[in-house]
Amino acid sequence: MKKTKSPRLGGGNGLLTIGASFVCILIGLAFGFLFLMALSWINNPGSSFGFIVSRAWRYGFKPIIMGGFYLPPISIGQEIAAAAPLIMTGLSVGFAFKTGLFNIGAAGQYTLGAFGALYCAIILGLPWWACLIGASLFGAAWGAIPGIFKAYLNIHEVISSIMFNWIGLYAVNTIMYGGGTGPMYDASKTKTWNLRSLYPDSVIPDLGLGVFFKNRSTTIAIFLAIAVALVIAVVISRTTFGYELRACGYNRSAAKYAGISEKKSIILSMLISGALAGFGAGLYYLSAVAEWRPMESTALPAVGFNGIAVALLASSNPIGIIFSALFISHITIGGSLMNSQYFPPEIADIISGIIIYLCAFALLFQTMLSGRGRKKNAPPESPPASEPPAEDGEVPGKEANE
Amino acid sequence: MADAEYVIEMLNITKEFPGIKANDNVTLQLKKGEIHALLGENGAGKSTLMSVLFGLYQAEEGVIKKNGEPVRILNPNDANALSIGMVHQHFKLVECFSVLDNIILGAEPARLGVIQRHEAREKVLQLSKKYALRVEPDALIEDISVGMQQRVEILKMLYRDNEILIFDEPTAVLTPQEIKELMEIMRGFTREGKSILFITHKLQEIMDVSDRVTVLRRGKCVGTVNTSETTVEALSAMMVGRPVNLKVEKADTKPGGVVLGVANLTVPSRLHKNNAVKNISFNVRAGEIVCLAGIEGNGQNELIYALSGLEKQSAGTITLCGRDISTASIRERSRCGMSHIPADRHKYGLVLDYTLEQNMVLQRYREPEFQKNGFIQFDTVRKYSDRLIAQYDVRSGQGSSTVVRAMSGGNQQKAIVAREIDKNPELLVAVQPTRGLDVGAIEYIHRQLVAQRDAGKAILLVSLELDEVMNVSDRILVMYEGELVGEFDPRTTTTDELGLYMAGAKRRALEEKGDAT
Amino acid sequence: MLLIKYTLLYAMVLMLVALGGCFSEHSGIINIALEGIMTIGGLVGIAMLVVMPAGTSNSVILLVSIGAAGLSGILYSALLAFASINLKADQTIGGTALNLLATALAVVIARRFNTGTQAAKLSYSNAPFIYNIGGLTVNIFLFIGIALLLLSIFIMYRTRFGLRLRACGEHPQAADSVGINVYHMRWWGVLISGFLGGIGGFAYIVPAVQTWNFEVGVAGMGFLALAVMIFGQWKPGRIFFAAMFFAVFKALANIADSTFLAALGWPKEIYNMMPFIASMIILAFTSKKSRAPKAEGIPYDKGSR
Repeated sequence: MKKTKSPRLGGGNGLLTIGASFVCILIGLAFGFLFLMALSWINNPGSSFGFIVSRAWRYGFKPIIMGGFYLPPISIGQEIAAAAPLIMTGLSVGFAFKTGLFNIGAAGQYTLGAFGALYCAIILGLPWWACLIGASLFGAAWGAIPGIFKAYLNIHEVISSIMFNWIGLYAVNTIMYGGGTGPMYDASKTKTWNLRSLYPDSVIPDLGLGVFFKNRSTTIAIFLAIAVALVIAVVISRTTFGYELRACGYNRSAAKYAGISEKKSIILSMLISGALAGFGAGLYYLSAVAEWRPMESTALPAVGFNGIAVALLASSNPIGIIFSALFISHITIGGSLMNSQYFPPEIADIISGIIIYLCAFALLFQTMLSGRGRKKNAPPESPPASEPPAEDGEVPGKEANE
Repeated sequence: MADAEYVIEMLNITKEFPGIKANDNVTLQLKKGEIHALLGENGAGKSTLMSVLFGLYQAEEGVIKKNGEPVRILNPNDANALSIGMVHQHFKLVECFSVLDNIILGAEPARLGVIQRHEAREKVLQLSKKYALRVEPDALIEDISVGMQQRVEILKMLYRDNEILIFDEPTAVLTPQEIKELMEIMRGFTREGKSILFITHKLQEIMDVSDRVTVLRRGKCVGTVNTSETTVEALSAMMVGRPVNLKVEKADTKPGGVVLGVANLTVPSRLHKNNAVKNISFNVRAGEIVCLAGIEGNGQNELIYALSGLEKQSAGTITLCGRDISTASIRERSRCGMSHIPADRHKYGLVLDYTLEQNMVLQRYREPEFQKNGFIQFDTVRKYSDRLIAQYDVRSGQGSSTVVRAMSGGNQQKAIVAREIDKNPELLVAVQPTRGLDVGAIEYIHRQLVAQRDAGKAILLVSLELDEVMNVSDRILVMYEGELVGEFDPRTTTTDELGLYMAGAKRRALEEKGDAT
Repeated sequence: MLLIKYTLLYAMVLMLVALGGCFSEHSGIINIALEGIMTIGGLVGIAMLVVMPAGTSNSVILLVSIGAAGLSGILYSALLAFASINLKADQTIGGTALNLLATALAVVIARRFNTGTQAAKLSYSNAPFIYNIGGLTVNIFLFIGIALLLLSIFIMYRTRFGLRLRACGEHPQAADSVGINVYHMRWWGVLISGFLGGIGGFAYIVPAVQTWNFEVGVAGMGFLALAVMIFGQWKPGRIFFAAMFFAVFKALANIADSTFLAALGWPKEIYNMMPFIASMIILAFTSKKSRAPKAEGIPYDKGSR
């Protein structure tokens, strides 16, 4: 057992955690700006420093910082629409983190969820809320699989989730494409059928938001996502179920001692994570933001991996995830609004990646912020016999293997 | 002329960790050719002091001298260069490596980086013969016995021609006979001119083998005495700071009906192909404390895991208050009246990152008073936790909302004891309940155990400390290699006799203990 | 025939990267970032190919591009080493971050080379890398791979360095107590994995095709290599056989259109899935007895230094 708390499980002093997250964001943005400057310099060698900075600022950094507010109101609408699925994948990863699992399979569960949503809409013609349920079920199933592998065969969930990400992607693409004549596939446009024009009942209502933001993809999805986040928050902190899952995450052995079934907890947790990710896909595709392109989707949906950044930034706190998702979608939209002639939109992904990297040792920022290395852990009651104090959990005198 | 009477001197050593002064102005002087014991309770600072000498830590203040000359020891390589070697309490051996590889690790004979194993093997075999330390060079550590593992650790020092040898609690894993052998080996070393520092908290061993003793208490040095001029009682008083009552106050009681029945229990081992527990049968009755004695690793842990439900037995039955719980879940066993104070409080007993109150309801959170429709009733939990804290004197920084990780070991253990006893179980299973605790906490827990027994509960105690076994229990069962090899009354047996049985040298049949007539 | 050509190609890639993972994990650091390291290695190596003037001799091309691939892998893996060893970060999260970063970086840099279009594709000639031996087409990485395999076995089990490295991943406290600098050793482990991973990434892309779209990174090969490493139980010899085994599945996808398999009429995606499905099946059967380096994944803290 590690002595200090893992960045995944969060907890600890709330203010410190928020502070540490801010530090991560600031450093991430700073690096992003440096990157933009570097690109600007490469594109215009020999220009003055001032020119480089202003170019990087005006066409690169400003859109990123302003995000959706760069081209209101449409871009605000886009930002909100993009945030909804991101909240869900963030919840998916965060919920798993709370249970001590790393759900890197959110992207694959999202893919399956997309399939579920589109299948229910196009083939079954169900109303939007039923499609959302369908999406969640598909995601849940895909999440449960790595859970089962871990619970019964002790295969690490990261490896199995990654494998199933790719299996899922290829499977979904194959089925949707259907050899060029699949029922879900509109060969003339090389993507799945447009929901809004052909299956309007399956589209999530927008209750006027669409008009307000001049973007019909801005639906009540965001409110649904926020509602789910609130439910998850309550479940984690106030129910016996949440108590059991968190106990498993902190200490599997003690959870077993307490009578909690670890296998059940692991599978349930992955199942719920998968459902959350699938639901996110449902929110996205049933808002008709875009269609699925089976032949061009050669990479896993980025939203699945950005969910990791979202969860880490918020220390897996469901309410915090709402905000960090808004932030990430903010800079992602901003990235897409940059002048792509000068700067590629992937800059936002780079910033996201840097933030995750920083979050991996966010605890360091916490301890630094709280003042000179004052660790929050107890003084070792028996300064380790021959072991460095890092090995907490070792009772002096106990044998090394268990 | 420099005074070379002392081969090693540690003068005014102060070593701090965040929040605690592990060594506070400690002075220790080792004469050449002597066996010098370092005595103190758990947490006194003995291991830290030796780690400083061995270069694992650096002291903030103080000076170390060898043969009168000040030296700096920044890492184990420096210590080794000064001819200092250490046998650690928890063996520092790589399990999947061979004996030979472990001995030469860090000091490998090599040509251009390529290890010359045949050279190493020769030297090891020579040393092994010279000091009668029997080892198999090509065996893997994970396959050999604990005794041989310790010999490997000793050979590590001899291979490096160390002259100053530090032994950190070497006897914890040995039988009384092996302990005597080890002492002979140590005397052999000193006859050759090597000097030995020997850390322990066991008073009798100090009297048996050492020349002088330095006593530490709470990080400070209490004093150094010649062993020939002191007694066990005097040392004990120095160690603890007050006269210690080494006996537990206990009235005689008459045991009642059988509470726990174990019949033909067999439990497989995770570590090797044999069974860890072989066809064991015994009873524990109401109003008695039965103690399972034995050297660590003879199946006690597996037996307890099977009783509590953490592991499955492959054969046999377990009955509690007449009910067969052989296949019951952990939760059911708890509900039938079993409480379990686990050996490893950090692994099984507590969720360190939860608060005290969350841990207090660790097994009871599902009961109707603590939850409604799946929602935790925080008020009830808080009240319950507060009551336990007051009743059992559990000290913490912020009361019920303290994160358990921040509590001291003694109070963590008290919290577990409080939780398990308050469940009012018919059977209390306590495994090593006082390991790593200071004398005050130990006295407290012993008193609680006796109180429960006087109230008519059945207690199954597992302990490695023979003193505890003799003082606290009403009946002693000795375990050796997974079998029960003897049953004793503490009033009529001795530690030496127990030692023989614990080492497997003798065995006898158990008496039938049925319901009281 | 073609199946053999592709099998050998992929086997060498999987083996090289798995060996890299092996060095890292034997020292105690879980290296999930292999996927990203491969991408970076591939990118930098190919970038060298693209910028080198026409008419450079083959040996120079080989030396510079392969060297650059390895070097870039080392530099990129230093990020993982720094985070995991010096800052004691969570290794899985750090590794994931580097994977995401790598793909994004690769796309950005690749686009930079194509200032006209928006594509993240790079094209080059892979002629210097291919040889024809008795009718069988092999590439240079076959030889490089075998050489590195033998070198790895030797280093791991016969040298001082190897013994100490493995001790750091099994029982770092024991290594520390005999004076080995665990931090130092772990850095070596990660950097070596970066070197092998970078070359592996280059070896994956170049011999097979003459153009590559970096948006897909290396399409999951880095993770397949991790499965190979686990299946090979962290032993170089077994990793070789595991790599061959997995490579067969991967190769099937390439030849699906052109050979007897075309008659089966299965869509190409099924073949793409096969290596991953095979991995899961193998892992399912071998996980019970799996024996990873004991102390891997746990950041080493010396305490008060």
